[in-house]
Amino acid sequence: MKNQRGVLTRKSLAILLIAAVAIVVAAAAFIGFRSNSDTVVKPPEEIEDYLFWEAKELTDFKLIGADNKTLELDDLKGKWSFIFFGYIHCPDVCPLTMGILGQAFKLIEKNPAAYQDIQGVFVSVDPKRDTPELLKEYASYFSNKFTGVTGDTAQVDAFSRQMSALYTIHPKEAQASEDNYLVTHNSTVFLIDPQGRLYGRFPPPQLTQEIAEVFIKIRTFYNERVKK
Amino acid sequence: MIKFFPNILAALVLGFVTLSASANGDIHIQDPWVQAAPPGVKVLAAYLEIKNNGKKQQVLTGVSSPAFGQIEMHRSVIHGNMAHMEHLKELAIPPNTSVVMQPGGLHLMLMNAKKPLNAGDQLPMTLIFGSGEKIAITATVRSGKTEGTEDHRHMDHSGHGEHNH
Repeated sequence: MKNQRGVLTRKSLAILLIAAVAIVVAAAAFIGFRSNSDTVVKPPEEIEDYLFWEAKELTDFKLIGADNKTLELDDLKGKWSFIFFGYIHCPDVCPLTMGILGQAFKLIEKNPAAYQDIQGVFVSVDPKRDTPELLKEYASYFSNKFTGVTGDTAQVDAFSRQMSALYTIHPKEAQASEDNYLVTHNSTVFLIDPQGRLYGRFPPPQLTQEIAEVFIKIRTFYNERVKK
Repeated sequence: MIKFFPNILAALVLGFVTLSASANGDIHIQDPWVQAAPPGVKVLAAYLEIKNNGKKQQVLTGVSSPAFGQIEMHRSVIHGNMAHMEHLKELAIPPNTSVVMQPGGLHLMLMNAKKPLNAGDQLPMTLIFGSGEKIAITATVRSGKTEGTEDHRHMDHSGHGEHNH
């Protein structure tokens, strides 16, 4: 090595140069990657509170709707999905939230492109009483954008747990009959993006105007900055 | 009181508000309504305002209606995004106080509807008070006031009534 000083110098220069180029390329790629990733692009302040810090990829699930239809992860892709967990025997909070969402969808309808992009999913955590047929009738009452689904406990949990949407069924708790029991449920409306990722949420108490306006802003932000 | 009469009368004529009162005029029930629901729904909610203009506390102890198998007083509570209902055995209305039942809070839980209900239906109900007094009201089925939920957002549930377990 000592005898080939000149050659080595040239070689090491070349290596240095290649290394330098590699670092520059890597840095550029990294910066480029970062600026394309929604986990780093800072969303506008007015929608920041509604978005998860990082969009969460969902794993597949299978929920059961009327007419032997199922709802799986692929059915959420290509649309913005508003997800609400509840139960039909819930007389107050569920119709209130579903009514607000239905009204919000009507406001979103003023923006036809956005309206085309949305769907609502009512997930019953009370499959014992809520059949897929009842759920179809229930959900579509609030908007024709709504689907109603449920499943056995394992199927419901496989979906709800991905949103940390807990629920508790209180059997016969001070109730007159076996079929009159109460359910505690998460009353957040979850928003899933067109890539099937948990993207945002509207915590209770929701407001019609708020949901519609914030959603339009989220969608604009996503289309301009996030969409692959 | 007198100055309110034209309003009440107008409201009655328009059909938006029904008002019932106790025999001695201490308790007034305003705007009882039932949240319209999809046809297959057997459990609904009713809302109203109970005004106690008297000097004594009044306690609502029960509600009945021929249109439902059972009616209970409930309060929806949302805590840490989790919604649940508390069953109230009775509801106290202190003197010179008004207790408002509205979506997302206090409500009457109407169970086992005997037939499907449609917007516009008029449902008779009887409120039973601790004093033994009964007040007959007529609740109208209508779509919810989802636009009015600003109240619900800022509502303080803590001051309304007692709940006993």
